[in-house]
Amino acid sequence: MKQDLTHAIFIRDLHLSLGDQASRVHVLKGVDLEIPPATSTGIVGPSGSGKSTLLMVIAGLERADSGRVEINGTDITSMSEDALAAFRGQNVGIVFQSFHLIPNMTAQENVAVPLELSGQKDAMDVAANELKAVGLSERLNHYPAQLSGGEQQRVALARALAPSPSVLIADEPTGNLDGETGRQIADLLFERQRDKGTTLVLVTHDPKLAERCDRMVPVRSGIIEA
Amino acid sequence: MTSDTGFLLALRFAFREMRAGLRGFYIFLGCIALGVAAIGGVNSVARSITTGISAEGQAILGGDLSFSLVQREASEEQLSFLSEQGTITELITMRAMSRLPDGSDQTLVELKAVDELYPNYGEFTDARGNAISLSDNEAVAEPVLFERFGIEPGSEIEIGKATFTLKAAIGSEPDRVGENIGFGPRLLISRQGMAKTGLIQPGSLVRYHYKIKLDDPSDANVAVVSEAAEAQFPDAGWRIRSRDRAAPALTRSVDRFSQFLTLVGLTSLVVGGVGVANATRAFLETKRSVIATLKSVGASGRFVFQMYLAQILLMTGIGIFLGLCLAVAMPYAARGALGSILPVSDGSLIFIPSLMLGAFYGLLTALIFAIWPLAVSQEVKPTELFRASSFSLSRKFPKLIYVLTLISLVFALVGTAIYFSENRFVSIVFISAIACSFVLLRVVAILIQWIAKRSPRSKSTSLRMAVANIHRPGSLAPSVILSLGLGLALLVALATIDGNLRYQISNNIPEDAPDFFFVDIQNNEIDQFKASLKAQDAGGKIIAVPMLRGRVISLKGIPSAEYPVDGNGEWVLQGDRGITYAKNMPENSTLSEGEWWPDNYSGPPLVSVSAEEAGELDLSVGDKVVVNVLGRNIEAEIASLREVQWETLGINFVFVFSPNTFAGAPHAFLATLTASDAVANNFDGSLLKQLAKEFPTVAAVRIRDALDTVNTLIGQLSTAIRAAALVALFSSVLVLAGALAAGNRERVQDAVILKTLGADRSSLMKTLVYEYSILGFATAIFAIFAGTLAAWFVIAVIMDFAFVVLPGVSLTTILVALSFTILLGLAGTWRILGLKAAPYLREL
Repeated sequence: MKQDLTHAIFIRDLHLSLGDQASRVHVLKGVDLEIPPATSTGIVGPSGSGKSTLLMVIAGLERADSGRVEINGTDITSMSEDALAAFRGQNVGIVFQSFHLIPNMTAQENVAVPLELSGQKDAMDVAANELKAVGLSERLNHYPAQLSGGEQQRVALARALAPSPSVLIADEPTGNLDGETGRQIADLLFERQRDKGTTLVLVTHDPKLAERCDRMVPVRSGIIEA
Repeated sequence: MTSDTGFLLALRFAFREMRAGLRGFYIFLGCIALGVAAIGGVNSVARSITTGISAEGQAILGGDLSFSLVQREASEEQLSFLSEQGTITELITMRAMSRLPDGSDQTLVELKAVDELYPNYGEFTDARGNAISLSDNEAVAEPVLFERFGIEPGSEIEIGKATFTLKAAIGSEPDRVGENIGFGPRLLISRQGMAKTGLIQPGSLVRYHYKIKLDDPSDANVAVVSEAAEAQFPDAGWRIRSRDRAAPALTRSVDRFSQFLTLVGLTSLVVGGVGVANATRAFLETKRSVIATLKSVGASGRFVFQMYLAQILLMTGIGIFLGLCLAVAMPYAARGALGSILPVSDGSLIFIPSLMLGAFYGLLTALIFAIWPLAVSQEVKPTELFRASSFSLSRKFPKLIYVLTLISLVFALVGTAIYFSENRFVSIVFISAIACSFVLLRVVAILIQWIAKRSPRSKSTSLRMAVANIHRPGSLAPSVILSLGLGLALLVALATIDGNLRYQISNNIPEDAPDFFFVDIQNNEIDQFKASLKAQDAGGKIIAVPMLRGRVISLKGIPSAEYPVDGNGEWVLQGDRGITYAKNMPENSTLSEGEWWPDNYSGPPLVSVSAEEAGELDLSVGDKVVVNVLGRNIEAEIASLREVQWETLGINFVFVFSPNTFAGAPHAFLATLTASDAVANNFDGSLLKQLAKEFPTVAAVRIRDALDTVNTLIGQLSTAIRAAALVALFSSVLVLAGALAAGNRERVQDAVILKTLGADRSSLMKTLVYEYSILGFATAIFAIFAGTLAAWFVIAVIMDFAFVVLPGVSLTTILVALSFTILLGLAGTWRILGLKAAPYLREL
């Protein structure tokens, strides 16, 4: 099949089942999806609809049973685990609901991790700049336990964007934050996405957050609703 | 660019991760440190002793060279040769009886006569540090002789036909360590004093020693003189020792003992390895989200492995460092504790090879037990950050490369242990036993869980819950049984072996075994001696045989020094042996091969050899044996092999010659008395007193006393061995504590939920007590079974003794196992179970 170079994310006839034997569930049932570059897309749907699983497939964290997934023209469906990890480190940034910062590393070190893993020599300088961009220049040497929830999510955002990935994945990025903090994080998320020209795909239950995206993709029972 | 940028980055990340400190690694560090300290320390202590022996070789030997002859003095020609080499000090040693002048008490002593030049090296001082010189009626003795007789310095004692003033207790006898262990206290007199005792008669069991301080003490000259002596006097039959082998028996013993203790230390390390595995697994469980996060931002599985391997290696390094600190201290402690008994080196006691051996074993063990959870940890998927995973580090199988690496490491550990051991057979058996124990422990855990699952439901809720806890997922059964089982089994094995040896010695003396041995009965006294014995015990059985001493010079034409022999038969060729001649086959023997010589045999010398020793030396009927007796080399042909029942304690010898072999040779007699019941049951020493009065030159040994001495020695050895085994048990307890503490975290969660459902603290505690009791009991049963089996193998198969089961050991084992599991399991639980449930419920 011809590589699609006009979309940042290209998914065709994606099928994925999870679980073993009697508990096996067909989660994604032939998903087709194309996301243009430098846009923001919100994936919405009820619990158990498969939206998080779809997000994981896009991020290269879950392997499809069949179908095709391309990120910036690169087919990731047949990559090995280590190759996927390497690809992810440079092309996909992920922001988690629970932040998932490494507790024994400072904010700067957390942000620098993907850069160091890819062998970038000025990783710490880049990390400092990213933290400055999210308003945390005074928190470089703080550990996650010393940061508020909002600050931790800012660090997570800086980490996700530090390698200048082409795709930014966000899974309920404001889910663990209070209203005001969540709004600030959402503002920062879209602002940085625009600044970097990254393609943003986020999953949320928050309709207001979803409405801020260029496009909404409803998912129900493993398929994308028209 | 790939996400793998090498071990250096992994190391950098590892250092960052270690900012959390050592929490969670205390058991890990303790296990590694203990094992490394045990192995490194034991080897260092052994080296400090053998180095001390080498460094003080001259003092221990009493010269640069020592020449020893049995039952005869050096000839004039030999003396002249020795005098030309340097200064000679001449000593005489033998066993004798010392008596109180009033005849109220007597005891066997190890008698040594010294000349004015003694010692060549070192200092001969009394207990106050004053130099000793002895006139012809003065003696000095070990403090134990004073205690034995209840006398003070200045008292008189009789030896043979002479009376001596026991003027002081010996403080330092520099060459004492170089001589063999004796059955009585040491007593030193002058050579002139010895002449007055009348003990030296033709055929007396006396040794003459010529210790030379060479004019040229260089190593080269030591070798030259030694070789010249052998070349010039090939039939001398003397035993030549040089200062670099000043105490070969002690050196051998120290080496063997340290080898055995190293194996015990290795057991401790292997037991500790379980703790390493548990700690690593628990640590990596807490790092799952970190691992998943790292993989989500580009880390490969291999990078994750390297990062946590680096951490484990750093922790191992700290544990090894702590262990080495302890190991370095041990020889210094040994010098303080043993310095007056053994020649611990005066110089530096840091022996790098010994410490490196301990460190190497520690590193290998840590890697072996950490590699599986490390390899499995890299299988953690980043999807865990999105959804809860049923993935558990204890269930996944690692990649083949890690399994192969693990196997290689195990081979390296086993190979090293076998390579460095003196007795490879023992090492292989020991290591196989450890491996089998591990497998068995796993089987026992599975079996207990299987039984628990199928056992009928109890009416007691607490017991029912306890049984359920044992077979449900996440049960503590495998951890508890594996942690405690091996260390406890080792202790049971050692205690049972020790108990069996003591039982053999104390309780297994045959009914008709002799009660007394008498040596140095002169040819012209033997009839009178037998008559005197008969007079005192008419119903007693007396056996008397000629007794000579000889050294095996060659077997089948091959000199003893070159004869190929494995460990078991070596002793026959070392030093001199008791030999005899006989018309008839000795009691307690049966002919297994060949023929006994006829009554009036007068052909070439023949010899009958004990079948067991003949087998060990690969000797058969028809082979030639050359022994040196009284300065003459005598060649004899093996006419027969005998199965000897040594355990009857009757008189018997490895070599029994045909009577014509030693016709006319001066010799003494060895006799035994199997006392009648009347005398044996009412023994008050009067028999020995009377004999001592009539035959002052005859040495008497009461079997019971000799066995008590052996028993004491075995007791001291077994104490040392059990101390080493306690290290293994301590490792077990550490590991058990860690496993139970980890299990307690889950217990708390369960308890919180149960409390909300109505359970009170005491019923929860009852459940835990039941659970830990069952596990402790199961572990004890395994330990008793495995330890007893191992002990049976050593006693019945290797030593060929009858084996007895010791119920006391079993009972103690059960009590120990129950105590540890219940106390450690409940430690901290009482307080936690009393806390309010709400805070925990919010976190669950």
